[in-house]
Amino acid sequence: MSKEMILMLHPTFGVLAMIAAVWVFVEALNANDGNIFRLRQVSVLAAVLLWLAYIVGGYWYVVYYGGDKALIKAGPWPFAHGFVMETKEHLFLTLLLLGTFLPIAAYGDVVRKKVTRKLVLWTSALVVLMGLAMEGAGAIVGMGVKVALLTKLV
Amino acid sequence: MTTHQTDMTDIASAKVTGYGLSYAITSILSALLVVLKESNESILQLMVSLTGHHWVTHGLLSVLLFVVLGAILSRRNIGVSGNTLIASVVGSTIVSGLIIAGFFIV
Repeated sequence: MSKEMILMLHPTFGVLAMIAAVWVFVEALNANDGNIFRLRQVSVLAAVLLWLAYIVGGYWYVVYYGGDKALIKAGPWPFAHGFVMETKEHLFLTLLLLGTFLPIAAYGDVVRKKVTRKLVLWTSALVVLMGLAMEGAGAIVGMGVKVALLTKLV
Repeated sequence: MTTHQTDMTDIASAKVTGYGLSYAITSILSALLVVLKESNESILQLMVSLTGHHWVTHGLLSVLLFVVLGAILSRRNIGVSGNTLIASVVGSTIVSGLIIAGFFIV
């Protein structure tokens, strides 16, 4: 598999994880005995997808990112690494833990305990919001590489 | 739709509470570790020497702490209200985000 494909899998898994988290949120709004099984299954799916995004993105970051990092730092958008990528790579660990906690909360008594349902709602909403931030940050890092390469061409 | 009675008691199960608090503690400690390793070269090098990359070590430590702390806290009957638990989860996410972003923006 090419390194570009590996890189593209990272946001793909991330977007799918966000969709799964939105699904959990919607199921939790009206959690009942009829949808609790589905809610729990999708919460596990969200966590698995986040872990896949972490493993694939982490592999690419550790093995291949060095070249892009050097380009970005020498280009017109050094903040794309110095602030955006540094924040993204570390905040992702928080998102990973939050995503891991989501099915744990979902396997609580979501149907009968109002507080557990609220916790699942908050957790899934935060996974979505942080996921969006990660996607946006990834776009800025990619643009940092692009403007650095364009500067070399002209 | 199956009918059910809502339990209005403001306390989540021991497992949910334990792992929720574990998440809150771990996310803050993980953010503080970012500041520590980026400010202290010897700690950064120590983390590099453990796995070959500081970020990999950081991730492993965070996951390990979350799991161990969660397992320990789940076995204790912690009298934390549900709203406090939710505030801890949401608050720690915001604070850890601010610590990390704040550190790299300056």
